[in-house]
Amino acid sequence: MSLPLAPCHMRRNARMTDFHGYFLPLSFTSILEEAKAVREKAGLFDISHMGHFMATGPGVRRHLNGLITSDLEAVPPGKCLYALLPNDQGGTVDDLILAASGEDEIHVIVNAGNRDGDFAWLRDHLPKSISLEDLSAGQIGLALQGPASSQIVSLLARGFEGMKRREARFSMGAANHLWISRTGYTGEDGWEFFGSEESILPLYRILSEKGGDLGLHQAGLGARDLLRLEMAYPLYGQELTPEKTAFDAGLDFAVNLRKGSFLGKDKMLEKRAETGRNRLTGFVLTERGIPRTHCPVLDPATGLQVGEVTSGGHSPRVGGGFGLAYMEPGFLREFEQGKEAGVEIHGKIHRARIHERPFVTGGLSGKKESAQLAVKSNGTADQGAKR
Amino acid sequence: MSSERRYTPTHEWIQSFGDASRMRVGITEFAQKEITDVVFVELPKIGKKVPQGAEVAIIESVKAAFSIYAPMGGEVVAVNGSIESNPALVNADPYGAGWLFELRIDNAAEWDSLLDEKGYQALLSSGTAGGH
Repeated sequence: MSLPLAPCHMRRNARMTDFHGYFLPLSFTSILEEAKAVREKAGLFDISHMGHFMATGPGVRRHLNGLITSDLEAVPPGKCLYALLPNDQGGTVDDLILAASGEDEIHVIVNAGNRDGDFAWLRDHLPKSISLEDLSAGQIGLALQGPASSQIVSLLARGFEGMKRREARFSMGAANHLWISRTGYTGEDGWEFFGSEESILPLYRILSEKGGDLGLHQAGLGARDLLRLEMAYPLYGQELTPEKTAFDAGLDFAVNLRKGSFLGKDKMLEKRAETGRNRLTGFVLTERGIPRTHCPVLDPATGLQVGEVTSGGHSPRVGGGFGLAYMEPGFLREFEQGKEAGVEIHGKIHRARIHERPFVTGGLSGKKESAQLAVKSNGTADQGAKR
Repeated sequence: MSSERRYTPTHEWIQSFGDASRMRVGITEFAQKEITDVVFVELPKIGKKVPQGAEVAIIESVKAAFSIYAPMGGEVVAVNGSIESNPALVNADPYGAGWLFELRIDNAAEWDSLLDEKGYQALLSSGTAGGH
């Protein structure tokens, strides 16, 4: 499916790719250069493929809160919330960003590949008194990400730079259902915008034409995936699936067990108590190689498979090949104590050792923001509208 | 004197530089753009014998791994050591400093099965290019 900005990307000679049926830029110059620009200055991503829903009606917060893992009722209007949408077995339908634009009006940002499934799931599980609207068609989504974002965003309007981390604003009226939030999925400061083509295209033009002087680079999905993986943020379909729970993926911070019950909670807790479930961990290769999704993880002592890579890549900042993998608990305990694992790439075993997550420091994972990371349990979103 | 450069449908090129039995192999401009940022290349060992069409090297890029196939059969007689330390050469100069390896050709007749410049350009513009 072609998205509104595709012709602009083609004029910039972007290398385009298919992502869940959407035609999007993979990169403009070089994936590594674009990722570096986002860590050091700023990058502009087209995220028009993200799904954008609006749920309205009396008690909509309470009804949605019964379907998600974190506490929407504890989040004031104008603040973004990261949550998982569990299925009735405690596995994961999707991960989401939610924000209230009014007392009885909630915006939800979902993954592109799950848009139809999420809509059907929410429609089936919300009462008929709640209206659910898909605002995605024809929408443009932009993510401005990087340490220079706060200067660059000032090109658009006064006041944006004063927004707090995870703050969301909504503009109604002429620019109907415009979402503006200080969020992102790169681990850097930044803003995300969603809205109709008429409302967002002028913002894209200003950023594209004037942002370059302030260090802004056009960036594609390749850099986006590398940046999120450096932060160990999950990607639905890889770290999160219908079988994997938030606890399996180590997303405990996104589950609020003190709030009222939610669909799938009991099953999630049952599965958390099971001792045999594989858990997600971070690793780096100690020799040259690039792990990729589905590469087997082996116990070098026995040669038996003890896990599988969900996402892998190469990062100069991490220092080589690295990734995330689900591993069997027995092996994982040894791995956590320093035992090496083998990752099979093109039929050859590459040695790997455990690595803390996130894989890189700086930006939002740096010292200044660690205080905010520590208060994750209050339920506010650390991660923005994603992918 | 260098020969004409010929191509495979899987986007390798092959060309001789003086000795017609010794051919240099690399990837095309189209391939380097598709592959994106090359991180390293698994080059074959010198002395390895490969039939035409066999996988002989792997290019690992940020995006994915890509197999490189032998445009003609032969023995690997040289590899480009400079791409070990500077893999970005494959992106920057795929027909020059970014070459991959050299083959001592077994069967010169295989040359006729390769695409010439015109044929390769036609393949690219038909949009049915395979391989990578």
